Amino acid sequence: MNDGSVLRLDNVSVALRRGRGQVVPLLDQICLAVNRGEMTALVGESGSGKTLTSLAVIRLLPRNARLSGQIWLGNIDLLRLPQRDMRKIRGRDIGMVFQNPLASLNPSVRVGAQIREAYRLHTGESDHAACARARELFGEVGIANAKERLGDYPHQFSGGMRQRAMIAMALACSPKLLIADEPTSGLDAILTRQILSLLTRLRREYRMGVLFITHDLSVVQKYADQVHVLYAGRSVEWGSSDAFFNAPRHPYSRALLGAVPRPGQIRLTAISGVLPDPEAMPIGCRFSPRCAYHQAECDCRYPKIDHKGTTSVACCRAADIVSAHRPAGMPSPQYFRSTNDGAVLLKIDRLGVDYRHPAGGVLAALAGRSKSLRILDGIDLTLRHGECLGIVGESGSGKSTLGRAILQMVPYHGSVAFEGMAFDRMTRSRRKMMRRRIQVVFQDPRESLNPRMRIGDIVAEPLALAGERECREQVRRLLDRVGLHARMLDEFPHAISGGQAQRIAIARALAAKPAVIVLDEPTSSLDVSTQAALLNLLKDLAQQDGLSYILISHDVAAISYMADTIAVLRSGRLIEVGATAGLLAAPGAEYTRHLLAASFLYEI
Amino acid sequence: MIRMILTRLVSSLLTLAILITIVFFMAHATPGGPAFSILGQKATPQAVEQLNQRLGLTAPLWRQYLMWFWHLAHGQLGYSYLLNRPVRQLVGDYMVNTLALYASAMLLSVILAIVIGLIQGTTWGRWPANLIRLLELCFYAMPTFFIGTIMILYFSVKWRVLPAGGISSVRISDPGLLDYVRHLVLPVVTVALLGTASLSYYFGASVHDELGKDYVRTALAKGLTFRAVLFRHVLRNALRPLVTMVGLAFPYIFTGSMMVETVFNYPGLGYLLWRSALSQDYPVISGVVLLIGFLTVLGNLFADIVNGLLDPRERYE
Repeated sequence: MNDGSVLRLDNVSVALRRGRGQVVPLLDQICLAVNRGEMTALVGESGSGKTLTSLAVIRLLPRNARLSGQIWLGNIDLLRLPQRDMRKIRGRDIGMVFQNPLASLNPSVRVGAQIREAYRLHTGESDHAACARARELFGEVGIANAKERLGDYPHQFSGGMRQRAMIAMALACSPKLLIADEPTSGLDAILTRQILSLLTRLRREYRMGVLFITHDLSVVQKYADQVHVLYAGRSVEWGSSDAFFNAPRHPYSRALLGAVPRPGQIRLTAISGVLPDPEAMPIGCRFSPRCAYHQAECDCRYPKIDHKGTTSVACCRAADIVSAHRPAGMPSPQYFRSTNDGAVLLKIDRLGVDYRHPAGGVLAALAGRSKSLRILDGIDLTLRHGECLGIVGESGSGKSTLGRAILQMVPYHGSVAFEGMAFDRMTRSRRKMMRRRIQVVFQDPRESLNPRMRIGDIVAEPLALAGERECREQVRRLLDRVGLHARMLDEFPHAISGGQAQRIAIARALAAKPAVIVLDEPTSSLDVSTQAALLNLLKDLAQQDGLSYILISHDVAAISYMADTIAVLRSGRLIEVGATAGLLAAPGAEYTRHLLAASFLYEI
Repeated sequence: MIRMILTRLVSSLLTLAILITIVFFMAHATPGGPAFSILGQKATPQAVEQLNQRLGLTAPLWRQYLMWFWHLAHGQLGYSYLLNRPVRQLVGDYMVNTLALYASAMLLSVILAIVIGLIQGTTWGRWPANLIRLLELCFYAMPTFFIGTIMILYFSVKWRVLPAGGISSVRISDPGLLDYVRHLVLPVVTVALLGTASLSYYFGASVHDELGKDYVRTALAKGLTFRAVLFRHVLRNALRPLVTMVGLAFPYIFTGSMMVETVFNYPGLGYLLWRSALSQDYPVISGVVLLIGFLTVLGNLFADIVNGLLDPRERYE
């Protein structure tokens, strides 16, 4: 064993056994190293095998998985250990932090008890010592009031705090290696930055290696020492982070970087096609069906590995691909549209929303003492014809509620005027008609499509509501417009991918012939390449139909790519509203600056 | 936690008040009225009038309604003219028998359900779970009287190890405790088999569900053994649906009890209800229905409180 590597994977493969002797290969000959005190980022889109790799390291793969190769932790090959010894490694030498901390913590056990359990299991210390260690750990991960918070249950913590608690638990026995599997997915930019700064500080203090699994490239550039890109279960490019971001060499890496939204960019590069089906992998290079540099030989030859400088790439054509110049820094303001030309479409005046706490039930209701919370206050906004208004803020800032108030889905005070008339002054029938002209696309595409309805019927529903007959042909046209094939008409939502589902949600919104579409985090649950294609589609549709958007997101990058005007929301109040270029170049409020800095906007 | 209990208590009381009201009006809406059942179908109108006066049935409805509450608050459930005993006394005796039968049957089926469900949940999709599922379906589909009759056939008639039923007196003290328990065994097992069949399947499914959750992976990644994860983390969360089921099962138990109590000639509430319904003995019917309602509400309250103890998210804080 050499040098300072904590973890080394040599030719690790994972295959799943299915019935009738069928074997599905999922990971193919992964070689990967994590050095002491360093962070290696394992990057890839969903389905690339990232999580599988992390589960292979701690050997918690599904029962029917077959694992081969060597996994060296220091000088122990983990694959040769019996389960009994492997259990002693888990938690003691390898700490795990998972995605979605709310689900990953036991909801009915106090957080403190879950941390103490991890510590006592491997040290055999007394409960008293474990309590002291838990308090110490909470101090280290930056949770104030350690003593009281340790007695809380996971649901009483906020999202960021839960992830800190998860990290504290993983660190309980001071492991040599920390595996963090998408620890910040679902967290907003500011929380992401805090968690990653925390991980960086801790890995230096503990001198531990960190295997950081993510699909978020902007985070990788800022925090990782090494990068390892996976595609369809194979390594495509790996090496030092600096060299990788300076000159990505694999066509997939390049496409992935091109798909990350940047302000002022006219168009994102989407990757055409979809991930290959694991049961029918291409024989040669797995990326070849989607590759822009594809040649006939790529289809049948295992890709050659090309080492150059501090990065390696598995691509036969690596030498031919000249590193193209990529845009960097701030674009000039002329990229942005002027926002003052269109007529006012939607005017929001001193809008406020109160939330009555439902908990308390009969007793509180009888006593007339239900709590009321103001979640939006004094919002003034204007949306012009053909404009995209971006609403950005951290989780809990009230963004989604604002969207719902505009859609007339929650009671509010103040006024929302559509084409010059306030909704609360309209007659009932006019109100109903006008509401149809504001459509919505929600975050979770699959959850927002009725699983029992066929795609064709889902898209046709708004048409039927408007009293139109002969919808079939129109639905076909709508599917075509959002880039879907008409043969999807008779499918059910479970049979399609997240990106496709979101396109259907857009087609459904378009069917009502809206003037405005409220997009509530439309790409948050999608991979970056899918996101790029979807954002491009939205831009095209806006141009063709003269649509206006209200784009709600915590992703500053996506907002700044799409929006003409940005409104910054915090704790239910507007912090700042301004034209995108101006706001990005010279944020007025301290908070906006903070948010932009956390979003790594200018780094890639 | 205390706030949650108080809130649930208030809503339980409201439920009871609604139940009491419904029972009152139902008793009044029945044709014939109690006078006929007491005096017989050939009673003269004068005699009926006289009796109605004596029973307070000529007073305005609201007054009768208030009296009904007043009597209930003092524990008076009325008087059975047919059996010539106060309803409270009558119902009290039968209730002891019913509670002895169903409390022990429920306890037995919960214990069995947990053991079987754990096996089923951890082997989900493989043969032990599939075999258990098959047995559960069989027992679930079998009518109570069929199981009861088979039991009597073997244990009482062929092997003569246990009595076929017929506790001679309704009091615990009379036949002696051991004899009472011997009489209980067959009915308890019959009811418990049916209960186990449904409870164990629900519990097994919920163990299987919980095992697929992310916190299980976290616990395994800490280095816990599977057994420790199962008992320290999964069991508690998996028990919640079981507790709710037990709470909800209360009314079914009482309505289903008529069958078992008839087969085993067992003097319980179901038996009493059946007999009174045949003879239109309204005070007794009302009393039994109220009691069953009361026990059902109590069962649900109990389930809510236990769930609150098991799951912190259920307590409003």
